[in-house]
Amino acid sequence: MVKRLLNKLERSWGVKNMQGKELETTLFEIIAGVGSARSLYIEAIQAARGKDMDKANQLLKEGQDAFDKGHRFHADLMRDVSSDEHEQVLKSDAWVMLLMHAEDQLMSAEAFGILAEEFISLYQIMLDKGVL
Amino acid sequence: MKKIVLLCVAGMSTSLLVTKMQKAAKKADFPCEIAAYGVSELSNVIPSADVVLLGPQVRYMLSKLKKEYPDKKIEAIDIQTYGMVDGEKALKQAREIMGC
Repeated sequence: MVKRLLNKLERSWGVKNMQGKELETTLFEIIAGVGSARSLYIEAIQAARGKDMDKANQLLKEGQDAFDKGHRFHADLMRDVSSDEHEQVLKSDAWVMLLMHAEDQLMSAEAFGILAEEFISLYQIMLDKGVL
Repeated sequence: MKKIVLLCVAGMSTSLLVTKMQKAAKKADFPCEIAAYGVSELSNVIPSADVVLLGPQVRYMLSKLKKEYPDKKIEAIDIQTYGMVDGEKALKQAREIMGC
């Protein structure tokens, strides 16, 4: 099923439609940005567990910056599709699925960001109490 | 034949990059096997891979995997290459790691 959709997407790339190319890059920039953020958040938690709080907070900050970058592409896409001059770009189910995947990654990263902050605070408390 | 494995959370976004890398490999006349997998499958696929590339979502696993598979060539995909879905650059990165 997914493979068939991907083949369809591949065919639509073949058209060399500029809009399609831009959309493809936009979706991948969202996934790359928020995906990096998710990864950095997890590394931040691991650093805190290893008692390196400076590194944990640094990674958390880097994660937030990466998230913002990915999120900005999503916000731009939202703005573009909401404008009056907008022509439909999500012409196939394959694009819709890739957009859903990008949004799914975005939501996952957002939740990881909140939890990373909480975990770092928790490890900080444990460290202060001498139980880490 | 060299085997290039890409890993991400579900193997979904990287499979699009794989399609582009396969095209680039064909164009460069570089016979190789390229495939994308989710990290849940990594223990099945890493042993037979010549190079493993991690998607940005799973880059945090890099140091752990390098420890678990000290003989394997494992690296994170360059973030810009990934964002631009640049199959040629991704293939170039894989080939540079393998030294071929």
